Amino acid sequence: MTVGINEYLYLSAVLFAIGFFGVLLRKNTLVIYMCLELMLVASTVALVAFSRFNRTMDGNVFVFFILTVAAAEVAVGLAIIVALFRRRQTIQVEELNALKN
Amino acid sequence: MSPDILFYFFAALTAGSALAVVLNKNTIASALCLLVSLVGVASIFVLLDAFLLAALMVFVYAGAVVALFLFIVMLLDTYGGDRKPFKKTTIVAASFGFALLALGLLTFVQRGGQETLATASPAELVPVGASLRAYGEQLFTTYLLPVQIVGFLLLIAMLGVIVLSKKFEGLEDVK
Amino acid sequence: MTPSVFGYSPTVIALLTLLTPLASALVIALFLRRAGSIASLVSTLTAAVVAAGGLTLAFGGFRDAAVNASATWLTLGNFTLTLGIKFDDLSALMISIVGVVGLCVHVFSLGYMHDDAAKARYFGGLSIFMFSMLGIVLADNLFMIFIFWELVGFSSYLLINHYHEKQSAADASKKAFIVNRVGDFGFLLGIIGCYYAFHTVNLTEIATATNTGVTANLIAALLFCGAIGKSAQVPLHVWLPDAMEGPTPVSALIHAATMVAAGIFMLCRLEPLFAIAPIALNIVTWVGAITALYAALCAITQSDIKKVLAYSTLSQLGYMVTAFGLGRLELVPDTQAGKLVLITAGAGAAMFHLTTHAFFKALMFLGSGSVIHGCHHEQDIFKMGGLAKKMPLTYVTFTIGVLAIAGLPFLSGFYSKDAILHLAEEKNYPVFIILFITAILTSFYMVRMWKLVFHGAPRSDHAAHAHEGGLSMTLPLVVLAALAIVGGYTHGSLSIYGHSFDGVISQIPHAEGLGVIAMSLVILLIGAGSAYAFYQNTATDSLETKAPAAFGFLAVLKASFDGAYNWYVAKFQQRLALLLEFLEKIFISGALIRGLIGGGAGLLGIGARALHTGSLHAYVYWFLAGAAILWAFAGGWLN
Repeated sequence: MTVGINEYLYLSAVLFAIGFFGVLLRKNTLVIYMCLELMLVASTVALVAFSRFNRTMDGNVFVFFILTVAAAEVAVGLAIIVALFRRRQTIQVEELNALKN
Repeated sequence: MSPDILFYFFAALTAGSALAVVLNKNTIASALCLLVSLVGVASIFVLLDAFLLAALMVFVYAGAVVALFLFIVMLLDTYGGDRKPFKKTTIVAASFGFALLALGLLTFVQRGGQETLATASPAELVPVGASLRAYGEQLFTTYLLPVQIVGFLLLIAMLGVIVLSKKFEGLEDVK
Repeated sequence: MTPSVFGYSPTVIALLTLLTPLASALVIALFLRRAGSIASLVSTLTAAVVAAGGLTLAFGGFRDAAVNASATWLTLGNFTLTLGIKFDDLSALMISIVGVVGLCVHVFSLGYMHDDAAKARYFGGLSIFMFSMLGIVLADNLFMIFIFWELVGFSSYLLINHYHEKQSAADASKKAFIVNRVGDFGFLLGIIGCYYAFHTVNLTEIATATNTGVTANLIAALLFCGAIGKSAQVPLHVWLPDAMEGPTPVSALIHAATMVAAGIFMLCRLEPLFAIAPIALNIVTWVGAITALYAALCAITQSDIKKVLAYSTLSQLGYMVTAFGLGRLELVPDTQAGKLVLITAGAGAAMFHLTTHAFFKALMFLGSGSVIHGCHHEQDIFKMGGLAKKMPLTYVTFTIGVLAIAGLPFLSGFYSKDAILHLAEEKNYPVFIILFITAILTSFYMVRMWKLVFHGAPRSDHAAHAHEGGLSMTLPLVVLAALAIVGGYTHGSLSIYGHSFDGVISQIPHAEGLGVIAMSLVILLIGAGSAYAFYQNTATDSLETKAPAAFGFLAVLKASFDGAYNWYVAKFQQRLALLLEFLEKIFISGALIRGLIGGGAGLLGIGARALHTGSLHAYVYWFLAGAAILWAFAGGWLN
């Protein structure tokens, strides 16, 4: 059977869900961040699939931008995590609860 | 035929390593599984005839981003196996969240009305994104403004990272 | 040819007279709070405008249709509240009194309040009072009267409280307002009843009302409650003596001549209603008679010069009220016109006495103000004495006032008082006896005060160094003295009234003949003579030393009402208030506000706070929940 768009979309959904599962499950900030990236990547898969099957360029170009922005975001996010680690000496999310109440 | 098997293979690879990212004890191992997952996604892109994007994925994501992650993990020195075991409530809650999300997404995918799209096979569809020229055309005409803005964004991100990396003297801890 | 004054219609003049004091009060309140001298000039000029306007309208012959006007203010369903002017002989007379006495008091205040720090507030209050009083005088329906009634009460509160640093002044103003409120409650009930029974509150339309029997009597009695409060009849008289805490010119204007007369004026306005309510008239008569006698008895023991005058005012108000109550509708054959003429003798006598009383009481109050000013704010008559030589002009004018109130023949008080006595003799003999005795007592206590203040040797340093006030204080005294002399002549060449007020003057019962003069002389001799002989030039009350039992009895009489009210307030009022406070704390504040509303808000707060766990995972779960709801919407499961 041929692989239609549905299969690609299922893959995207599954990847997204796994990433989300990771965000909920893990306590290490870095791992949570990695799972966030997974979610982003899942969305790019969906975009490219749609772009392919609709015969347009827009999805592809959008993924282009997503890649760029994700890279910038990772850089800044990790810098923040490093700064946080210097303050709190921990990156376990449960202990980073200064915003409580 | 072969594209189908390839798809399933790479799909399984991607999903499997994604799960490994989530469930791994070792942070470094998590990062490397992420790398594998990204390579798998790049292969999916190739299957979708988006070659430039596949290459970019490997260069930017798998290359730079994961490398950055690894740097930070090693900097913060937390990759040891001293991760506490998962609490039962966490597992249950997370599984619930996962199921909810997966269900939601799959429902949407199902109901999305792919009747018009599902019947077309890749062979009949002309892959527009296969040519580099098309990217160039779009990026420098329709999407010129976003390109400029993203350029700005990168500049600001760089500046932000430099500022954040400085040591802040004299700040008191909140706690 | 439409009548006009310098080209303006009389209605405009009336409106101008009414609104100028309001404008003056606004200007003083907004701009002149610190500029006392300018404020006093503004206010006095306004008083002059009012006097000029009022006298022009009164003596210019503009009446009724030439001046009457009305405008709808608000409409609620079937009910319309209108504001209008009704200008007949009665309001013309009243506006003249208010204007003239008001102007005299304003001029006097220029001198008396010259050194006061809060002059601007005082003159602003006087202006507001003039506005409110004129509103009552010109009003054409009961609701409008009520509005201005309350405004007058407010002005009185403001002015009594002028020396607000003194606790006694604050208490007195509160008392005045609250006691007036009690009377006004009855008044309001009466107005509502009037509207309910007659479907109108317009004075002209009430005149044609035809209901008799219980309805008319009840409504009239309720409306009289307003007069009981405002004109300080027993049992709501307790505020007037305390109101002497205000500055003396205020006492002269408000609590002697005009505001307290507003009750009488209101009664005279409602005369047609009372004419068909004989039971109410009886009540009115007896309340007035009791007030007159009671106040006269209380005045004998007073040592404060203003309190004596206050009780005297109470007594004279009782006279006016009694006079009104004695009036009956009767058809009298008019031989000249050859037909029957309707006479309502009560209103005429009451208004006549109101007029003369305004003159001589204001004169005496201003005279006492001059005395107080001269003695450096000493008000105890036992610390005065010998002022006849030190303040001759005040002495002469004050004497005229005393003789007028005592009823010396051919002064104004003689004519008005004897009109009332004549009416009483005709209609109701017991009341006549009471009024006769009261007249004797009146001359008794007035001469007592007069002798102790002006005769003998000075009994204190201040009295020894007393001096006359300036021109601004003596001029009004002279004017009012002149009016006190000629104010009684209603006919003939000396009459100041001319033919302008025939509607009222024709109603005055005529007491002619030597018998009347003899009766007056008898009263005067008995009362004045005994007072002059009895009271010696001592520092204490001669009655107290020589007849302590009588003195004690009179003192108790005076204090009895206050004591009764205090007891009532302490035992009932306060306990009720405490009970209500308790209920309010428990139920309204506690259960409703803190419980329901406060608790609800508190719970919301706790709930909102619970969201701030600081845990990233929690936030992600909430995010998922929100996303799930959005999906449900988008998927069409939740509409």
